[in-house]
Amino acid sequence: MSAIVASDLKKHFTEDIRAVDGIDLDVPEGQLFAFLGPNGSGKTTTVRMLTTLLRPTSGYGEVDGLDITRAPGEIRQRIGVALQEAGLDDNQTGRELLELQGHLYRLPADEVRKRARRLLEVVDLLDAADRNVKSYSGGMKRRLDLAAALMHNPRVVFLDEPTTGLDPISRETIWAYVRELNEREGVTFFLTTQYLEEADRLAHDLAIMNLGKIVARGSPQELKASIGTDVVTVQLDEPHVTRDRAIEVLRALDGATEVRAATNEVVIYVKGGSRAIANVVRILDEAQIAFDEVSLTHPTLDDVFIQKTGHHITEDSDQPEEVA
Amino acid sequence: MRRGLIDSYYLMVRGLRDALRQPEVELTNIFIPMFFFAVTVGAIGSVAGVAFGVDNFLGFQMPVAVLQAVAGVAGSAGLGTVTDIERGYFDKLLLTPAPRLSLVFGRICADGVRAMALTAIIVVTGLIFGSGMETGIAGVFLIIIMGGAFGLAYAGIGMSIALRTGSPQAAQAGFLLFFPLLFLSPAFAPKEVFAPWLEFLATINPITYILQGMRDLVLEGWDLRSLLGALASIAGFATVTLTLTLAALRSRTA
Repeated sequence: MSAIVASDLKKHFTEDIRAVDGIDLDVPEGQLFAFLGPNGSGKTTTVRMLTTLLRPTSGYGEVDGLDITRAPGEIRQRIGVALQEAGLDDNQTGRELLELQGHLYRLPADEVRKRARRLLEVVDLLDAADRNVKSYSGGMKRRLDLAAALMHNPRVVFLDEPTTGLDPISRETIWAYVRELNEREGVTFFLTTQYLEEADRLAHDLAIMNLGKIVARGSPQELKASIGTDVVTVQLDEPHVTRDRAIEVLRALDGATEVRAATNEVVIYVKGGSRAIANVVRILDEAQIAFDEVSLTHPTLDDVFIQKTGHHITEDSDQPEEVA
Repeated sequence: MRRGLIDSYYLMVRGLRDALRQPEVELTNIFIPMFFFAVTVGAIGSVAGVAFGVDNFLGFQMPVAVLQAVAGVAGSAGLGTVTDIERGYFDKLLLTPAPRLSLVFGRICADGVRAMALTAIIVVTGLIFGSGMETGIAGVFLIIIMGGAFGLAYAGIGMSIALRTGSPQAAQAGFLLFFPLLFLSPAFAPKEVFAPWLEFLATINPITYILQGMRDLVLEGWDLRSLLGALASIAGFATVTLTLTLAALRSRTA
């Protein structure tokens, strides 16, 4: 059975601002699904529609078998959500916050107390449980937010960029817990992220979104294999001067399927990458183009993203990095 | 319905806990009306009898201090909601199965309870300094309940602005709106000494009737007509402000 379905789902804020422009999704129950894309690509708007916070302009959406526009109340009872900003009340303690959450989800009072304690233990916040949330670090807040999303044993959990801004250790903690819940209890996770590594390591399946549309869909392995080539990256010595010339000469490389420029580098998709490196060096030497480094990698999700959109997915900027 | 009331209760408790953890906010809410209360009585009290026939100016001013304090408390309902919106906590609450009305009603009820507490402090202070209370202990309780009810009604203004705009600056306008209403009422002198245009504005101002109802409980004794006028004004005020709040809530969650 599908846990999440979307069919031609759209959210147009104005005629020009088409945050989500007709997406189709089908996430099976028990899957850990990642929604990948740069800031502004429409990931959060999609989550807000699927979690009933935002009404779609048109199209159909379904969560746990329920129509998002017709049964929002029932959907809210069945889903857990941690939004992009850890939505917490700084003047409550961690325990009070979880207990209020439990009461609003209509759990019996004794279960509320037990479950809050158990979750505080799981997210390693039991020692800080009776401190005001305002004294928590960013990582602690994220963990508490995750615990709040899980307070009522939801069947489907939406996590909107759950690890953005976290240090690597906190990020690992959250990943481990998400994976454990998914494997042990079969909870379906719909995770948006701009961290490629996160999607690559966690997701069974993922969709790449850009400018309101899904541009690729599949498992991380399938998507990377779809590139069908190795990736040779050349760091140019003076990229602003030599980049266009480098692209021109490297197009003659035997086996190259595509040559693209990024900010300070040239990316070559080529069959038999290890053999091609020597030829790349030779071609650049002959053309008298100075370079710092030539490296060979297997395709990453970033390469998939570049191939589908013409942009790098960057983690620190609001806009995708332009690729020539 | 029952479920909505239970959810409102939990959210009211949260609102009260929030208030207890920020005592500085409550101190400001009580200090300003008490200061104006003391200064006004000190400045005009001795001449009020001669100037406009009010012998017990302390008792005359006490309801003004109550309404100022209540409006201060209720004005902050909007600020609390804006803070929740800015922190993303309001979305968290919207994602629970709690009826959306409870999310607003819980906080407004907390403001009603806070308003009752401040009203009690002002009334007890007035009694200590000799305001008297013609209707006795029952009158004291009635004024406290009216303070709470007016707080609940007035909180709707700040709440609707907060939900509509999500802006802290705009939400504070809820409290500022109270001053024109207060000055267009017989807050500092009886309506009879007003210029005709001001008397007309005071007559159509609901604050006039709330003030008069409380004032009669302090100075005159039981006057059913005055009391019903006050209660009807509070109810009318609540109907308008809560309707605005619901409309704002609907537009935010559309």
